[in-house]
Amino acid sequence: MSSAPALQAREVSMVFGGLRALNNVSLELAKGQIVGLIGPNGAGKTTFFNCLTGLYTPTSGQVLLGGTQLPGDPAEVTTAGLARTFQNIRLFPSMTVLENVLIGRHVRMKQGPLSSLLHGPAFQRGERAARERARELLDFVGLSRVEDELSRNLPYGDQRRLEIARALATDPSVLLLDEPTAGMNPQETEAARQLIFRIRDTGISVVVIEHDTKFIFTLCDRVTVLVQGELLVEGTPEEVRGDPRVVEAYLGKPPEEVQAVVEEITHGSAEGASGE
Amino acid sequence: MFATLMQQIANGIVFGALIALVALGYTMVYGIVQLINFAHGEVFMVGAFGGLATYTWVLPADVKQIWYVALPLMVLGGVVVSVLISLAMERIAYRPLRNAPRLAPLITALGVSVFLQEAVRLFYPNATSAQPFPATFITTPLVIGPVTVPASGILLVAVSIVLAILLQAYVNRSRMGRAMRATAQDPDTARLMGINPDRVIVVTFAIGAVLAGVGGVLYGVYINNIDNQIGFQNGVFAFTAAVLGGIGSIRGAVIGSFVIGLVKNLADVLLPGGTAYDYVWIFVLLIVVLVFAPQGLFGEAERVRA
Amino acid sequence: MSEVSTAGRTGLFRPLSTAGAVATVLGALLPWATFVFNEGPYPAKATLQFFDAPFALSGFRLHLMLFGLAALVVGFTRLPGRGRVLRALGWGVLAVSAVNTVFLISNGGGFGAVSASDGAFAFGCYVGLAGGALLVADNWHASAEPLPRWKFSLPLWAAWLVLLVSFGAVLLLVAATLTAGGLGGAADPYAGPVFLSFLGAAGGLLGGLHGTGLLSWIGELSEKHRLFSVLVLLLCALGLPLTSAGNEYWMTVAANIGVYAATAIGLNIVVGLAGLLDLGYVAFMGIGAFVAANLSGAAASALGIHVPFLLAAVIAAVIAGIFGVIVGSPTLRVRGDYLAIVTLAFGEIFRRAAQNNIGGLTGGANAIPNIPQVELFGLEFNNPVTIGGLQLPGGVLYYFLIVLLVALTMVAFGNLKNSRIGRAWIAIREDEDVARAMGIRTGKAKILAFLTGATLAGLAGAVFAHKTATVSYESFQFLESVTLLAAVILGGMGTIPGAVLGAALLFVLPEKLREFSDYRLLLFGLALVLIMRFRPQGLVPDRHRRAELVAEDVELPAAPKEATA
Repeated sequence: MSSAPALQAREVSMVFGGLRALNNVSLELAKGQIVGLIGPNGAGKTTFFNCLTGLYTPTSGQVLLGGTQLPGDPAEVTTAGLARTFQNIRLFPSMTVLENVLIGRHVRMKQGPLSSLLHGPAFQRGERAARERARELLDFVGLSRVEDELSRNLPYGDQRRLEIARALATDPSVLLLDEPTAGMNPQETEAARQLIFRIRDTGISVVVIEHDTKFIFTLCDRVTVLVQGELLVEGTPEEVRGDPRVVEAYLGKPPEEVQAVVEEITHGSAEGASGE
Repeated sequence: MFATLMQQIANGIVFGALIALVALGYTMVYGIVQLINFAHGEVFMVGAFGGLATYTWVLPADVKQIWYVALPLMVLGGVVVSVLISLAMERIAYRPLRNAPRLAPLITALGVSVFLQEAVRLFYPNATSAQPFPATFITTPLVIGPVTVPASGILLVAVSIVLAILLQAYVNRSRMGRAMRATAQDPDTARLMGINPDRVIVVTFAIGAVLAGVGGVLYGVYINNIDNQIGFQNGVFAFTAAVLGGIGSIRGAVIGSFVIGLVKNLADVLLPGGTAYDYVWIFVLLIVVLVFAPQGLFGEAERVRA
Repeated sequence: MSEVSTAGRTGLFRPLSTAGAVATVLGALLPWATFVFNEGPYPAKATLQFFDAPFALSGFRLHLMLFGLAALVVGFTRLPGRGRVLRALGWGVLAVSAVNTVFLISNGGGFGAVSASDGAFAFGCYVGLAGGALLVADNWHASAEPLPRWKFSLPLWAAWLVLLVSFGAVLLLVAATLTAGGLGGAADPYAGPVFLSFLGAAGGLLGGLHGTGLLSWIGELSEKHRLFSVLVLLLCALGLPLTSAGNEYWMTVAANIGVYAATAIGLNIVVGLAGLLDLGYVAFMGIGAFVAANLSGAAASALGIHVPFLLAAVIAAVIAGIFGVIVGSPTLRVRGDYLAIVTLAFGEIFRRAAQNNIGGLTGGANAIPNIPQVELFGLEFNNPVTIGGLQLPGGVLYYFLIVLLVALTMVAFGNLKNSRIGRAWIAIREDEDVARAMGIRTGKAKILAFLTGATLAGLAGAVFAHKTATVSYESFQFLESVTLLAAVILGGMGTIPGAVLGAALLFVLPEKLREFSDYRLLLFGLALVLIMRFRPQGLVPDRHRRAELVAEDVELPAAPKEATA
């Protein structure tokens, strides 16, 4: 059991109508590893995430978490220990910061309807423990001082961090981060990097989608490049950076064009998220 | 039994034609603004009263006798009232809520519906009880074997089908029709292409109101009395028909309406409970369709929204 | 937060507001009608005197004067939330003046009654209107000011004292509101105007207090001492028969309000927390009522058995809950307004079935009459009771029972809201897809919302059946569902005080305004439209401002920003 990879995607394919968005993409993530997923806009990165988390049911292929096959349902997947954040931040806007994290705790709490109705001692214990854990996590990401603010009132960078705290609250073994630094300034990006390292240090494996290749190459243990729904290269940052195909397909673009792509992403035009 | 059955089928077709005139308005408005315009049934109702008012106060006594002059004028009167009311409610009640969350316009629509029902009851003379509607059409019914259909029923079916075909052609061929389809597909892109969504929405409401107004007056002529409740009831049926046919689809709304008409009238003789329960069966049908085939029987898959 | 507060006008002197306050005081002092009513329909009121109670306009001059003085004082202070206070006072002044002006004009013989006759001018009401309008207009944008937050904490005894006093004040206010103007109808043409004036004044007062942050503070305090608050609130509610509202008539009115308030709280779970629009909700109350009626031993019931009330109530709640699950099950596949239509269809099916006396269980058009009164602990609930030397009016036992019912639903609502389940509901309301992605079984949670709401409604229905003694399908039509929904929305979705306040308003107003009873539904429809347009968050907004109804006024910041200190 312990030898099984933390997360393993085997030849995942996804077809929308006639469009093949993913073609036999495989990914393997060892325990405590950070893996980067890069690729030009429209390469299918978010679609891949959606397949992993059960939001989409892959047309073919398998996803294994710690050696067991994941059920094809977002709620079950989260329960099994795979948590995610969203490319275009999706917090619960009129809940407070703390409540957002408590939602993340939902799957690890046991109180049923009756216990919730009666608020008995067991309920109180569970509720206290959940709040304690939520506060720990807010502290971990550096948001304790704003726990009573409505999440919609947080500045952008804090919203990203809150999403991470909410995902961590589900006690995941694997965390999927969809563009965690989009729209951040250099200081915030650096803080995000440190945060991801600290998350890894707690024993959680991390998969990061990012457009900022510099960020990915300095963060990740291994990097996977997706181009047009196909896995192009997989390897260490050094291998990937030096691979001529990557340079051609992704980095080889004239700087302006890359810049344009980055800008488009930053301004929130959704990439696979527009379906459903 | 066979005679009863045939008669019920004939009645169902007439009822379906009536419902279709209302359902088209539902389907068009929903297609464009994704609003269940609950008050659309009331537009039908005020149309009927508009026709009655025209007859009572506008038409000179000698004209009232000549149906082919009186009826068109009554229809015109009904349509004018319907369109005015419909446009006023779009402008006053719905437009300010265009970007509000979706519950808000739905609740507003409920409010408008109650308001219009009550306004007619309180302010239309004697409308606290059902009002007799003049029979301004040929009164000799058409008899085919065992089946008897009032001439006004035939008229309803004919008008309904002709208007539906005209509407289909308008939406497919005209400039405004193209703008409508574009707006229904993707309002933002449509706006970028230079289409004024306000205009499209106003025209959509107006078209729906014209059909409902015609329907209201013809309903009066067919049933021979009207009250302020006819809008709600028939409105719900029309909505059911629109969903059944696949909301947003003109052909679907018409076919859905005929299905509803037939189900209602056949339930009267075939299903347990008879006439007392025919409405129940329609609601059961509505639930089944919404739950198991929300895209409708003839519609395309529900439009994907981001 | 702190930088926003300077956005409003901060100068100490506010000429327009001050003018408004002065005008209000002047308006209160000036004569309102020199044209006495001896030429109008009410010659008995011909000798109208200044501050002469109980007639509407003179009685409320005192309120206007106090409001005016308060506005004058507040206008010259640096009170936090000053604009909000002034605006609320302005609305109060405007409401009182408008009601009385309209009454004078319509019942006193036209504009002449208000302006001139007997050679003298009486334009007090116009001055009052102007004063209120000035106050409101000058502070129109007061919502931009942050609501002051009181941060200081109190020792336990002080906190309890504050809560005790506040809830006591609420009790007195409720009693005064209920009895304000007395019974409506032809017997007392002043009832409506007096009541509306009172409502306007009370609203102005409460709004003003809210503007200072006091009410939110008390709200937070009561959250902190929940158990104590619930007990005190319960005691206060039970104390209502001892106030001016302590007679059979008002007990009955209060009991009716209570039944609908309890039902509205149940609906608030479905709509306010889980965000599922239910347009057929009253059917659950109807199911509860018919079940209880059939188990009551009433002569017309099909079963002809008599089950003790408490057991019957439980059975009614359970059966209503089962139907809740049935009606809720389409939520697994249907969303948004399609779901609303499904619930509407269920509601109509229930109505039709009940109308046709399905299975002989509902009595059809004949209803089920003569449902026996509740008997518990040897007490017959229709009778008056004497406790010690205390004579309590008839109907008081039903009132007590219904207070308990409302308390029960309130506790259920509050507990569920502040629990894992309640948070899941709110999450579903805000973003269903993300809620799923966070591990919430959304289907189960939504059905649970329907189940809970329906059970509470069934319970309320069982009490309703015995209270009114006759159960007819006519009490459970589409319009009743819409009225309940309106109560929830008017009060404020997702809040308990909201649902109670909404239900109270919607069921007291018709009682008070009988002379307008014909216009009830017209005004009701209009009110729905206006609320959605101008105050979709309701009178008592939830701290979580409902994403379902209020457009997002704060966009996600597009550009990165420095964290605020």
